[in-house]
Amino acid sequence: MTDAAVATPPRHGSLLSADDRTRRRNAAERRFRLYGLIAVGIAIAALIVLLSSILVNGSSAFRQTFLHLDIHLDEKVLDKSGTRDVAVMSKVTTIGYGKLIDAALKTTIEDEGIAVAGLTAKDVTDMISKEAAAQVRTRVLADPDLVGQTVSFKVLANGRIDGYLKGRVTQESAVRDSNVSPRQLHLADALREKGLLSRDFNWGFITAADASELRPEAAGLGVAILGSAYMMIIVLVLSLPIGVAASIYLEEFAPQNRWTDLIEVNISNLAAVPSIVYGILGLAIFINFAGLPQSAPIVGGLVLTLMTLPRIIIPTRAALKSVPPSIREAALGVGASKMQSTLHHVLPLAMPGILTGTIIGLAQALGETAPLLLIGMVAFVRDYPGAPPEGFFDPAAALPVQVYNWTQRSDPAFVERASGAIIVLLIFLLIMNAVAIVLRRKFERRW
Amino acid sequence: MDDMRAVENAVSTAEIKIAARGVQVFYGDTHAIKDVDVDIPDRTVTAFIGPSGCGKSTFLRCLNRMNDTIPICRVGGKITLDGEDIYDKRVDPVQLRAKVGMVFQKPNPFPKSIYDNVAYGPKIHGLNRNKAELDEIVETSLRKAALWGEVKDRLSEPGTGLSGGQQQRLCIARAIATSPEVLLMDEPCSALDPIATAQVEELIDELRSQFSVVIVTHSMQQAARVSQRTAFFHLGNLVEYGETSHIFTNPSDPRTESYITGRIG
Repeated sequence: MTDAAVATPPRHGSLLSADDRTRRRNAAERRFRLYGLIAVGIAIAALIVLLSSILVNGSSAFRQTFLHLDIHLDEKVLDKSGTRDVAVMSKVTTIGYGKLIDAALKTTIEDEGIAVAGLTAKDVTDMISKEAAAQVRTRVLADPDLVGQTVSFKVLANGRIDGYLKGRVTQESAVRDSNVSPRQLHLADALREKGLLSRDFNWGFITAADASELRPEAAGLGVAILGSAYMMIIVLVLSLPIGVAASIYLEEFAPQNRWTDLIEVNISNLAAVPSIVYGILGLAIFINFAGLPQSAPIVGGLVLTLMTLPRIIIPTRAALKSVPPSIREAALGVGASKMQSTLHHVLPLAMPGILTGTIIGLAQALGETAPLLLIGMVAFVRDYPGAPPEGFFDPAAALPVQVYNWTQRSDPAFVERASGAIIVLLIFLLIMNAVAIVLRRKFERRW
Repeated sequence: MDDMRAVENAVSTAEIKIAARGVQVFYGDTHAIKDVDVDIPDRTVTAFIGPSGCGKSTFLRCLNRMNDTIPICRVGGKITLDGEDIYDKRVDPVQLRAKVGMVFQKPNPFPKSIYDNVAYGPKIHGLNRNKAELDEIVETSLRKAALWGEVKDRLSEPGTGLSGGQQQRLCIARAIATSPEVLLMDEPCSALDPIATAQVEELIDELRSQFSVVIVTHSMQQAARVSQRTAFFHLGNLVEYGETSHIFTNPSDPRTESYITGRIG
């Protein structure tokens, strides 16, 4: 027996050199890995291009050009009665304030000895944003005692001047631009040298309401952020309990029959329904039938809830399904009821998965635009919605719709603002994902 | 031999705890248990043996209505616990399972602390009035399960961090913490090494003084070591049921003999 084994020559070649078959197999494996690496590389490159283009275009939206002016708030113009009564003072419109700002700018230019050769009074006025008068008026009405004093203000510069400081507008483009002249840009240079014109962090971009086509420098995301936040509150409050309750019932209690199969198929289908269909549904049911107001976060929230529900139910059911049956048996075995077994053991174990699904569903809802267009959230809204719950019924905008809105506008200054709004949206999404990770860690640590 | 006789005497005097008459179990169209009659005495270890798929686990799960959780499973016949029909419409399975505890094949501690694992049953059944009583129940149960010495200093650590044998003893402690009257064990040692198995077997023998223990096992040696009565199942039929010593030394049915001697199964 042993003799025969020794006599037989080894069937394969030496182990120290790979044979043809092995070489081919190894080559195939190397190719396979390379394909994977290329795929990952393409994905990362696409992400980098996307993010960098948004950051390059959008980061400038967070800085804005301001003019520093000492404005004499003339009592004769602003409060003829001398009573400092806000009701009386509010009769003075922005035109009255505009004149004071013009005067202040003129005085400043003269005091600093800046030459304004060839510029008309209107050219000088146009250096300032049309929003500036409203800015000053709001502050004065909030604090009537300022009247009669000379107060230093930081007023918005015109969008073109802002563009010049950011490099979007140049001397060459100004020649062809009917909204700004090269002389105005020279004046801007002179003002900047004197330190009267500077770029600061643009809080208004985050807090202010949207502004018209003509004053991009004043446009902000305040109303859109509030509207989106209100809608997220509604979506979270409605879809999390409904979704989790439905999932628990379907997964743990419902009998397996044709009806539950039908429901299951329909939930999967609903998750795949295009979001605009939910918009039409919302328009028909919540606005036309139920008579809820248009452009209101309540309608947006309800529509997004409908859209988010299947996207929460599916991962929640998967999370419940992944809890090992032995845990349920153990609980039933010590005499727990079905509900106790579910609430005490299955649900806590499924919690990380449920939270992840919920937050991903919410993030999708936050970025959803199409259904909101149909229910009127695309409207131009200048007024902040009130505090909840009444505020849910006030008109508001939404972040993704605001992005869509701004990209529709012709003034190039809205390009940076649209990108800036995307950055804000992405920051919100990042915060939500971070919350998801933190919550998941927290729940996992308990076990 | 005297020992054996003493055991036999104990068996004959013990009262009947569970009586099954004409039990049938169907899984959909499959007839899994065919007309089984068994009397399980109190304070005795009863072993169910038989080849895989013979229905011994299915029958065990009928005794605390764990089969209720399987939608396609139907149970016929009559099973009484202390004379009360456990399949009566008025019986709440939750109450039944508090009386008839169960230990499963694979150790399945809750992913919670050792303390919470044992305290869970008493808590949901309201067996304790305060924390001190609960502490006492936990300690007693862990002592009875021969685990107290190993875990008393780390009660707050997760039960899933214990070794396999410790986990199974934790599951036994959890089952006895609700002070059941019957303890069902479904192959409790099949996932354990021989040392852990010996510990669990020793424990089963001690538990006999307080509970009626029913154990399903694949190991005939184990049945012979721990049980006083043995039931042999084959293809859904109860082939033979009697004193363990009798079944293993002088089986009356040829199928039992073939199984015990290793010719079938």
